[in-house]
Amino acid sequence: MKFDTPKFMPGGDHFILVQFGDDARIDLNFMALGLTAAIKSAEVTGVVDTNPSYNSLVVEYESDDISYADLQTELTHLIDGLGSVDNLELESRLAYLPVVYLDPWTRECVADYSEKIAQRKYDPDFVADVNGFDDAKQLVRVHSGTEHWVVAVCSTPGLPLMRALDPRCAITSPKYNPPRTWTTLGAIGVGGLSTSIYTTPGPGGYNLIGRTPVPLWDPRQRHPIFKDRVVLLDAADRVKFVPISEEEFDYTEARVADGSYEFNITGYQRFSVGAYKKWVASLNQGGRF
Amino acid sequence: MALSVEVIKAGLETSVQDFPGRYGFWEQGFPPSGPFDMWSFRLANVLVANGREAAGLECQFMGPTLRFLEDCVIAFTGAEMNPTLDGEVFPMWESVAVTAGQILACGFASIGARSYLAMSGGIDVPTVLGARATFHMAGVGGMEGHALKGGQSLSVGAGTGVPGRRVKQDCRPAITDNKEWQIEVVQGPNDDWISDDGIERFLTSEWKLQARSNRTGYRLEGPDWIFADKASAKGPEHGEHPSNILDHGYPVGSINLCGQTPIILVNDAPSAGGFINPFTVPSAAFWKLAQSKPNDIYRFRRVSVDEAQELRRSIDRLCVEESIA
Amino acid sequence: MIYDEPKFLPGGDRFVEMELGNELNFDLNFLVHSLSSKIREAEITGLIELLPNMSSIVISYDPDLISFSDLKREVLGHYHNMGSLEGMELLSPIYYIPVLYCDSVTRGCWEDYCAKIGEKEYDSDILVRLNNLDSYEQLARIHSGTEYWVAALGFYPGLASLIALDPRCRMTAPKYNPPRTWTAKGTIGYGGSVTCVYPANTPGGYQMIGHTPVPVCDIEQRLPAFKQDLALLRPGDRVRFFPVGQEEYDYVERRVVAGNYVHNMAHYAKFSIRAYHNWLKTLDMDERF
Repeated sequence: MKFDTPKFMPGGDHFILVQFGDDARIDLNFMALGLTAAIKSAEVTGVVDTNPSYNSLVVEYESDDISYADLQTELTHLIDGLGSVDNLELESRLAYLPVVYLDPWTRECVADYSEKIAQRKYDPDFVADVNGFDDAKQLVRVHSGTEHWVVAVCSTPGLPLMRALDPRCAITSPKYNPPRTWTTLGAIGVGGLSTSIYTTPGPGGYNLIGRTPVPLWDPRQRHPIFKDRVVLLDAADRVKFVPISEEEFDYTEARVADGSYEFNITGYQRFSVGAYKKWVASLNQGGRF
Repeated sequence: MALSVEVIKAGLETSVQDFPGRYGFWEQGFPPSGPFDMWSFRLANVLVANGREAAGLECQFMGPTLRFLEDCVIAFTGAEMNPTLDGEVFPMWESVAVTAGQILACGFASIGARSYLAMSGGIDVPTVLGARATFHMAGVGGMEGHALKGGQSLSVGAGTGVPGRRVKQDCRPAITDNKEWQIEVVQGPNDDWISDDGIERFLTSEWKLQARSNRTGYRLEGPDWIFADKASAKGPEHGEHPSNILDHGYPVGSINLCGQTPIILVNDAPSAGGFINPFTVPSAAFWKLAQSKPNDIYRFRRVSVDEAQELRRSIDRLCVEESIA
Repeated sequence: MIYDEPKFLPGGDRFVEMELGNELNFDLNFLVHSLSSKIREAEITGLIELLPNMSSIVISYDPDLISFSDLKREVLGHYHNMGSLEGMELLSPIYYIPVLYCDSVTRGCWEDYCAKIGEKEYDSDILVRLNNLDSYEQLARIHSGTEYWVAALGFYPGLASLIALDPRCRMTAPKYNPPRTWTAKGTIGYGGSVTCVYPANTPGGYQMIGHTPVPVCDIEQRLPAFKQDLALLRPGDRVRFFPVGQEEYDYVERRVVAGNYVHNMAHYAKFSIRAYHNWLKTLDMDERF
């Protein structure tokens, strides 16, 4: 549910948590991201960093420069200034990420898990079943048919936590239990209501449905795009997955390796929450890709 | 509405048209369509006391054979198609009363190319995008979007026409069997893409109307065009050939130069594209185009915008009751 | 270039071509459509119709109600009263359209032209050659790598002229000379620096590089996407193509035929001119997808 007024809670001595509600409705994320943008443009004294999530925002502050109480006042003031969530407009880039869906690497990863940890159905077939799709191909069509909203960049460096903007493309699935001990780098996973991309080859619990050759972070900043930023995506960006063949994957991977890969990101749009809601209301909820 | 007219034979591309045609949808790609020889069409409506907007039939090269199921006052204008009513000669440029059961038949046009049949009360087909005019390429208007087919039936409204009215001889377009025409033309919009020599060549040459010509475009055969420097010194987005230009709207009547093939864009022509239009045929000359036949020869006479507008007005002044004897 | 003063060129007795410039320039096109809106609102007596296109507007007028010179004076007045473009924003829907590149349908159309009208180089080969590409795959990658701006409607009902928003994806292609007498409905055409989707079986001159089973015009307005308008696209909309294989192409075609195809359209992003200009500056024009 959405709280009538946002809740403020201290997180130790130099964090404040602002919570807008306690569920995953997208409006709460819009508010969190709206506040993040407002804090940045107001250049609030004493704020060190911001960390938005599904329905909340953690603000790190320097207690010598601003007290908890003053910061809470400042944040309340900024929230009031945002007005209704429907009036929010957010800077939102759109990144086109190529993906091999139903790829051989995740097949291998799942097979390895089945052998060593617990038998499980091939993830894309499993997710297709759980969502009543005709087959894994329809899963691909639906997953790649919508833009995905980056709710937060978290867990591991550069990892985007995303949700489908087109409600007709909402996919749900239970996570691995127990989790995997390793995941292919670049794997696309779905779990709960979210999609994420594995930026480290570590453990994970999302169902694996594809793989992208495009790096989402680069601590050594080898590509020009990483000159001014360490991670590719920010919260409030959007991602559209573009299904590609294995040949195209190999081609792209080679260009990533030699540094000539061109990222495909457009940065000339503002996401309008009001327009988004109107569009959602106009959709025929029964119609599916 | 009772069905009034049965189509026994459709003729060669006979279609329902109305004047001035379809307006308001040009930006969405719908040309005006409407009657090619507006002059003859309008006079046919005046003869049978129809309002200006009443729909009638345009007959091309060979007209239809129709059986009237009800009494009606009709008029046939334009090209000489030797129409007969129950086998008897049917007079052109006159309003005639036909009775139920009578059959109007047409032959091939011996003089001119297009004729118009107006029925008092007007042809009753649904308006599509604001008009009854047929645009066959997109299948809108007229008889289900297309030319007449044998076996169809036309509905006609209730009219107030009376027989025995004639259009005065000097109020009619001068349709003759002369195979050469002088066609008025206004220079522009893209005349500066052609060199002075090229303009001179266009205006002094003979241009032959190709057989592959119709309401979508009139293809001309003649000498090569000579382009000005502007046609080559342009950005790559225009296209390689000198006649290529960044896509732009096409005035109706444009002489559209596709490579070295000039095509006059007429009633059903595309609304825009990427070729230049060095000259434009004005409204007043459309009847000449409509009444020409393949292999006819055109020579173009340049007129100013003002002159072209005055020519159109002079035709407008003839499409009225005062032209009827 | 954008002319200092627009040119007013006569087109016979009832038309004027107003040229605002002579290049494929997004700003210029935006100006064309903004000015067209303004002129429409002004309801000038005697002005019948407007036909805006890339860099020009053809105006049809009734010479009995307004003279050429009065029309010119009024329109020029509105032109001079337009404010700065920089601050403009437009809520712009985006359509995602699947394309089978270098397909058999367009190949068949090209073969027919060669047999009946004249021998000619295969269309995709021309594009690869003229634009220094290394393969058909790169042609598909570049063509589908950008959003397209709907710059104009015209030539035929439902036909939209699309210009690439990412200048690195602008290619060039000559037109058929003489033009074809037919083109398969759904053909993806490329001519000059413009791309389009042929809405029906029409004559045409653009090079044919692919095919989509998705309808962009429906005069009978049967599918839900055409409820309001028989043409899918309007100026100011955006299109993004994505490559599909034969299998996906066949699937989409089946759904179109069955009448239950769901067009993929998202309508919640505001296109910002200022942001677009800023984004353009970030691009390395020497790089390519």
